[in-house]
Amino acid sequence: MKKNLSRYSILFFCLIFILSACSSNQASEGSITALFTEVNPAPLSVEDSESRVEMAQKIREIILTFDDLYDSAIVLGKEDCLVAIKVRHTKRFRMKKIEKELKETLEKEFPNENFTVSSDYKIFLEAVRLKDKVKEENWPVDKREEQLQKIIKLSREQT
Amino acid sequence: MSQKEKTPEQKEYDQLQKKHETKRPILRNCVVAFFVGGTICLIGQAISFLYIYFFNFTEQTAGNPTVATMIFISMLLTGFGVYDRIGQFAGAGSAVPITGFGNAVISSAIEHRTEGFVLGVGGNMFKMAGSVILFGVFSAFVVAIIKTLITQWFLGGF
Amino acid sequence: MLKGEQSWVFPRRPVIVATGVTGGPFEGNGKLAEDFDLLHDDLWMGEDSYEKAHRLLIDEAIEIALKKAKLQKENIEFLIAGDLINQITPTTFAARNVGIPYFGISGACSSSMEGLALAAFIVNYQGAKHVLTGSGSHNAAAERQFRYPTEYGGQKPPTAQWTATAAGFAIVTEQNEQNQNEPKVTMATIGKVIDMGMTDPFNMGGAMAPAAVDTILAHFKDTGRTHEDYDLIVTGDLAKVGRAAALDLIHAKGIDLPSEKFQDCGLMIYKDDQEVHSGGSGSGLSAAVLYGHLLKQMKYGTYKKILCVATGSLHSPLSVQQGESIPCIAHAVAIEMD
Repeated sequence: MKKNLSRYSILFFCLIFILSACSSNQASEGSITALFTEVNPAPLSVEDSESRVEMAQKIREIILTFDDLYDSAIVLGKEDCLVAIKVRHTKRFRMKKIEKELKETLEKEFPNENFTVSSDYKIFLEAVRLKDKVKEENWPVDKREEQLQKIIKLSREQT
Repeated sequence: MSQKEKTPEQKEYDQLQKKHETKRPILRNCVVAFFVGGTICLIGQAISFLYIYFFNFTEQTAGNPTVATMIFISMLLTGFGVYDRIGQFAGAGSAVPITGFGNAVISSAIEHRTEGFVLGVGGNMFKMAGSVILFGVFSAFVVAIIKTLITQWFLGGF
Repeated sequence: MLKGEQSWVFPRRPVIVATGVTGGPFEGNGKLAEDFDLLHDDLWMGEDSYEKAHRLLIDEAIEIALKKAKLQKENIEFLIAGDLINQITPTTFAARNVGIPYFGISGACSSSMEGLALAAFIVNYQGAKHVLTGSGSHNAAAERQFRYPTEYGGQKPPTAQWTATAAGFAIVTEQNEQNQNEPKVTMATIGKVIDMGMTDPFNMGGAMAPAAVDTILAHFKDTGRTHEDYDLIVTGDLAKVGRAAALDLIHAKGIDLPSEKFQDCGLMIYKDDQEVHSGGSGSGLSAAVLYGHLLKQMKYGTYKKILCVATGSLHSPLSVQQGESIPCIAHAVAIEMD
């Protein structure tokens, strides 16, 4: 019996060890909800000029016409535009197709922008985090663009 | 195989014996397997979200570390002698997810530790998981060929 | 003396003077824990492999039996024993340690009664004064050879049986003035290999039942006895499925054997809440239950005459994988107090 007890205590400590390793928190508080619920963040433009902000708004309106999506985060950069979407659960089998359709529609509408459409939760999360950072810490334009490029690079990673 | 046709006497006994044979509770096994398997997958999903949220992994790339973590947990449970009890209770529920594969490898490794590292652990580690690997790779190969043929000839070829 | 076709009668009535019974942790939690002379609370038993632990179980059972009989190993002429492991190595190593001239027998779970019958025969015809016989089994050692690694999480069907970690040894001696009050071996029936075409190694009870019935019927036919001559007919390790099937087969032959007189060692040793599926099995199980529990009960006067039928399924993992059916055997020994 004594042996059993020591067995379980080792197991217990291993679990504590794993869990504590995971909780080295580096994220902002509000963004956890972005993984599970609908947040509908306002579109973000890296540059503050009125025309760009308006354009980001327009992109959002086009995205809203897609019924298969229920949430989207838009980051409009200098030349690139990141569109992170959440596809409805029942439509997830068609996810790649929906991404492609959306990309084609947007490219037809705004031929001068490079669109990156991603349905990955991580990209969505990072887009929301970027928006929060911009708002809370008043990031300058360069830093915003840099972070946007990082996210776009992350979305291209395969393994 | 050397399976011979049964004699009438053997068939008769088979009938008699079947009456007493306790049947596998198939419905109960299915339900339990569904829920335990689902719970294991839920834990996997939670770990996957942890990797996405706290580390720089996307949904695409979080798969590998999640699998590694699940196998690590199943290794601990096997070593502490818990997994075989879960297995008896849950059947396919704990055998089908990746943890079941980990258990098959690790339990063989532990079992043959007494025969030394090279011939014991090394030689017998994949005793049970070996066929999973072989037929897993083979079926993936077959499916990939079928997929390539279909997409090349019927969809993209014209 | 041969009687009938396959039975022996021992007119000099060899005596079982002493027994040694050892067991593992699972048996220690069972119903018959008090009948064991020595119980280990760990499957490894301080050894570095399960096979060595298996050997230790046998070593200790032999030692205890010798001590109880107040005999030295030099006094014992022969050792007749066997177990389940490949080439019966644990028994062989134990025989090496004890240094008694040795017959190794491989009758799977029927080894215990095979050994007792042979020992009684040798003693009866003055081939020896004292013969040591018995068998052992170890759960984890058998599990890894016949089934899966111990920690593997495969689901066993309800017809599966639990191999006991136990060893039981007895010393069979010529009758003299001092040992009048000990149980005596009076008859034995050697069984034929019976194969009913069963192929499921997770249902050994069902496969072995016809062999047990065949031997019991042969015993009745050869010796002219009926079930009324016995207070108890106990089978080795048929467990729930096999016992029910065997009882059906006996009743079908027109023998009205009451079910409470037909017991099974595999069902006696474990408690109901222990997860052994259909029941216990293993060559050590019938030896431990007979030499530990039943002989004690006979001395208390609960039973006067018993017929012990140890059943064995003689398959190997290889033969099962090659699709062969499971050949089974049973040996019966009559033990009496008077």
